[in-house]
Amino acid sequence: MRYRSQAVAYPYFVVALLLFGLQMVFGLLAAAKYLGPDPLIGLLPFDVTKAIHTNLLLVWLLTGFMGATYYLVPEESRVELYSVRLAYLQLAIWTAMGVTAVVGYVFRWTAGNKLLEQPLPLKVVIVIVMLMFLYNIGMTIRAGGRLTTTEGVLVAGLACTALLYLPALFEFDNYTVSIFYRWWTVHLWVEGVWEMIQGALLAFLLIRMSGVDREVLEKWLYVIVGLTFISGILGTAHHYYWIGVPRYWLPIGAFFSALEPAVFLGMAMYAYHAIRRSGLAHPNRMALHWTIGSAIFSALGAGLLGLAHTWPAVNKWTHGTLITPMHGHMAFFGAYVMIVLGMITYALPGLTGRGEESRETAANFWSFWLQIAGMFGMTMAFATAGITQTYLERILGIGYLETQLKLQVHFLMLVATGLLFTVGVALFLWDFFFLAGRPVVVPEQDGRMPARAPVA
Amino acid sequence: MSKRAARLFFLISTLVSALIFTILTIDSHRQFPRLTNSAAIDARVIAGKHVWHRQNCTNCHTLLGEGAYYAPDLTQITSQRGAAYLREFLKDPSKFYSEARDGRLMPTLKLSAQEIDDVITFLTWVSRIDTQGWPPRPILVRGSAVPGAVIGAGPSPAASQNPVEVGRALFNATPPGCAACHSIAPGVNIVGPTLAGISATAATRIASPDYHGHARDAAGYIRESIVEPNAYVLAGPTYGTAGHSLMPSDYQQTLKPEQIDQIVAYLLTLR
Repeated sequence: MRYRSQAVAYPYFVVALLLFGLQMVFGLLAAAKYLGPDPLIGLLPFDVTKAIHTNLLLVWLLTGFMGATYYLVPEESRVELYSVRLAYLQLAIWTAMGVTAVVGYVFRWTAGNKLLEQPLPLKVVIVIVMLMFLYNIGMTIRAGGRLTTTEGVLVAGLACTALLYLPALFEFDNYTVSIFYRWWTVHLWVEGVWEMIQGALLAFLLIRMSGVDREVLEKWLYVIVGLTFISGILGTAHHYYWIGVPRYWLPIGAFFSALEPAVFLGMAMYAYHAIRRSGLAHPNRMALHWTIGSAIFSALGAGLLGLAHTWPAVNKWTHGTLITPMHGHMAFFGAYVMIVLGMITYALPGLTGRGEESRETAANFWSFWLQIAGMFGMTMAFATAGITQTYLERILGIGYLETQLKLQVHFLMLVATGLLFTVGVALFLWDFFFLAGRPVVVPEQDGRMPARAPVA
Repeated sequence: MSKRAARLFFLISTLVSALIFTILTIDSHRQFPRLTNSAAIDARVIAGKHVWHRQNCTNCHTLLGEGAYYAPDLTQITSQRGAAYLREFLKDPSKFYSEARDGRLMPTLKLSAQEIDDVITFLTWVSRIDTQGWPPRPILVRGSAVPGAVIGAGPSPAASQNPVEVGRALFNATPPGCAACHSIAPGVNIVGPTLAGISATAATRIASPDYHGHARDAAGYIRESIVEPNAYVLAGPTYGTAGHSLMPSDYQQTLKPEQIDQIVAYLLTLR
């Protein structure tokens, strides 16, 4: 940690990880409900559980992105944050918004629009928080007078995240039109501008950990982000297949979303190349694990598993089955969860004033492998369930309910591997809160910290 | 490639993609009225859409294949079940399904009669959206006995102009959606009673003392059951309530006379 204001990242990581833990509780509950009968049906039915599970994911990932940005921008622009106080205020409002949303869902206060369930007042709060955040970051970069490509891509990704949230504020009488614009937020986030964020964080971590020349890595960052938008923007079409839009979206969706794996393959090759050059020499080896893991798992989950059902002739049969969560779980985990956990693991030694090798704990190591194993298992459970469902329900024409009863064994596997994943998450939290130490209190000097404490 | 060239590649490809996307979006708006029948979106459809959102329906069900995967897709539900059935169902789903039998159950939402009507109106509008032929074969809520189903294809079209054959194809198509509620396998009661052997059963029904309809023979009985379901309602929790059938009662209007003849001709072959 080179600048004292970077310490503001720590409370962001605290909030992010607590919400991550809570997300697991609701995920397990939702999975258990697939096994039926549901004793909580009157109190916490599936729809509420599922909305909380996915909303917590979005909120904690965004919290993690914000924390990571507050850590990264001072280092890149070589200046203290414009306002630490504003960053804390922003976190307070943001957390209050998140908690209100979750409690509200339990009491059925919802906009009932998939992934954008936040009621309008909360949506307005989200926009205000994003503006506070962008203002703080923008003023910091202005004060530093230095904008690197990496942070430029990161901040542009975050600014577009805010911008693309705006369609969610509008309501359309025509359900098809409302779906059409819902994807402007959801798809263009996760398969567009969030990939800019992932790419930028990946570039930052690789520059810091591999020692490969910044110019080379940033050049390829441009190429990756360019490919992201070529495939991502028109790839929105793969959400426009059967919802009452013109037919030409079918071939457009097929062609451009077939290009999406290239982006993730590019990212994986990018990381592999950087690490090969450096010979895996960085002492924070767990941060390397998460970083490389993100590049590889996003290629599998977002790239290949997305491709698996993006072709219209396939999607015609799989649309609206458990094939979708198969892709969704591994894609979100690989692309966004792992990169945020990578940033946290990378930043922790600096934030807590410990040596770079201090993250090499058994808890962190097992956390990594249990999450990998658990997520792989959950993906397989959704895949086997989804394929069976597609065949029985969509192709043979057997009723939905009879088909679901035949999927019980896959739902058992889902619960079991979900538990494994949750143990992995619990270990990460344990490591963060109890083993990594507390953040260092930096005495007021001229604002600058000495470079990282020498490793003993 | 230099970093400058890479940046140029990024900027140009993003701009071009965004431009094409914008043009297609504008063109889609031009076509939405026709594809979604947007002239039919009235205050009731909008009120029904609000019920749909307020009740968080999409976090269990899919509609147009979008939503959550815990409950059946509802894109075609109004053509499959009809308004009378859906009204009763939404009042109390546990009358129709049980956790013990089906593994899961829809909670009772305590909707007002107006809200129920509105959401059914909304779903009826959705069922008429041009979905480019999706789903390729009807997605059924329940019921698995589909004898003679052609695997991997939709309901097979009529092989000839023979009225029985045309009737068979009609019976399996949605709309009218007969096969969504009636199986033709003995003992398989999906929502309506099985029609296995209906031609023979009709005679005993007409002869029974509690039959007060006007039919004199099997053909007349089947025709009467289609166009006037309330004439004789079989006892069964999912068949009717208070002497009123839950089957849609508008087939006289929605089907052409010759189509009713064809379905009757087909059902008469089930002995």
